[in-house]
Amino acid sequence: MIVGWNIFPYVALVVVLLSLLGAIVALRSKERSSRAMLLTGLGIATMALFIVGLWMTLDRPPLRTMGETRLWYSFFLLLAGLFTYGRWRYRWIMLFATVLATVFMVINILKPEIYDQTLMPALQSPWFVPHVSVYMFSYALFGCATLLTIVAMVRPKEDVERAIERLIYAGMAFLTFGMLTGALWAKDAWGAYWSWDAKEAWAAVTWSLYLVAMHLAPSVMRHRSRTLYHITLILAFLALQMCWYGVNYLPSAQTSIHTYNQ
Amino acid sequence: MVAGMITISVVALVAFILDVTVGSFPYHIFCFPLNILVIALWLTAIIALYRKGTASPFTKYMLSRGATWLALSVMAVVGVVLGLQRVPATTSWCVVVAILFVLTHLSFVILRGWRNIHGVRVRFILTHVGLWLALGAGFWGAPDREQLRMAVDATPTNEAYTMKGTLSILPYEIALEELIVERNEQGVATHYEARVCLEDKSVVLRVNHPYDRTLTQKIYLASVKETAEGDVAILEIVDEPWQWLSMAGIVMLILGGLLLFMRGPQRDNRIVG
Repeated sequence: MIVGWNIFPYVALVVVLLSLLGAIVALRSKERSSRAMLLTGLGIATMALFIVGLWMTLDRPPLRTMGETRLWYSFFLLLAGLFTYGRWRYRWIMLFATVLATVFMVINILKPEIYDQTLMPALQSPWFVPHVSVYMFSYALFGCATLLTIVAMVRPKEDVERAIERLIYAGMAFLTFGMLTGALWAKDAWGAYWSWDAKEAWAAVTWSLYLVAMHLAPSVMRHRSRTLYHITLILAFLALQMCWYGVNYLPSAQTSIHTYNQ
Repeated sequence: MVAGMITISVVALVAFILDVTVGSFPYHIFCFPLNILVIALWLTAIIALYRKGTASPFTKYMLSRGATWLALSVMAVVGVVLGLQRVPATTSWCVVVAILFVLTHLSFVILRGWRNIHGVRVRFILTHVGLWLALGAGFWGAPDREQLRMAVDATPTNEAYTMKGTLSILPYEIALEELIVERNEQGVATHYEARVCLEDKSVVLRVNHPYDRTLTQKIYLASVKETAEGDVAILEIVDEPWQWLSMAGIVMLILGGLLLFMRGPQRDNRIVG
């Protein structure tokens, strides 16, 4: 069976409906609901099946175009939401994750950005899949952390702060892995681990700002004001958006060696 | 605290003035063995200042949380500035001073962390020493890095050029034996590789698959040209003696990242920088 972007709107509809049902069930349950987790899990499984099918049809990992990375982001966002709900029982996190994932799926339907199916020689590397997929997973974790940060700024709660910090630590682990596998790949591809290319520079900005946040986190700075910590987290997430797609709109992108995203 | 901040502000101002008046930082002067000598002096000064403890205002500042936030914020600002430039000015005095400040602060934090180790603090060592090695090897090793480009066809040649266009004669010759370019229906190259003769050996070069000529030198296939006169492979020869230190730092950071995930935030903040 050929799985292509032509069936994505239907897949997205099923995924959104299942995830939304799961989110509503979670919102209405006082305890952790296995039914909610099952519904969202089914949505995520549907998305996973589509990704596997697309991978087989394209005969390459669907990680090249902006549309393809958005697909992974939606997938990981739902997964991170489910994980956060399962681990810390925040009833509303799955709804937030579903809404955010839906936005990215709708963008993919309205602006699919599906170009040729070939994987250019520069991307034919064993580093390609771990580098991009791990990055996308870290972005999803940071997405959830940002949602929680906004909540914490409006209604400060100790357990929300703890969840933010745990998500930041997990996100940093994956971001570091993604960034450094990129550095190892760059050495094989271009002869330098790091060349301060526009994309690399914004990756460094994101990494540094999340490090600032980690050093301002409640477990480190128990008695200080948390406003600066929350603002740093928001700034770090904005830097992440620049690194992911914002950089493509900068003049520096014209000389960038990371010009695979379309 | 104030004295430390004043010192750093004055150095940053001097760096800015030098950028405006003198131009780029003369990296090439600091190639081996001068960079080793400078590192030895730099580390000796850090250890001497560290031993003075909080009696030295500079040490007191360098061990403060304020210095950590400033160092990381400086890295972020450097990233923003370089990320907005078409050609990143990595040899700017301000960038050099910023990276040196980050490395110096990191050295102080590592010294304190090492001394205050109670039980196993593997994560601290992996993340901090890993970053120190990866960043330090890139910074101090940059003057020793050599990057050459050469166009190779069927005639053996040993002429390569630096990135500034200066001719450099290699101690060996390279000749192109075969160039393979595969294209899809739209004519887009999906795969290309070059088989070259190098030091009496036939070597296959592909994108992402460089040839390790020595422990420090790799030869890359940068691009290919198919002309009426014949095929030409553009090769890049990169000699980077410090690459293994960078690699060690990167591996340590990846392992430290793994521990970040496994252990999460820890309430013990005795040696957090």
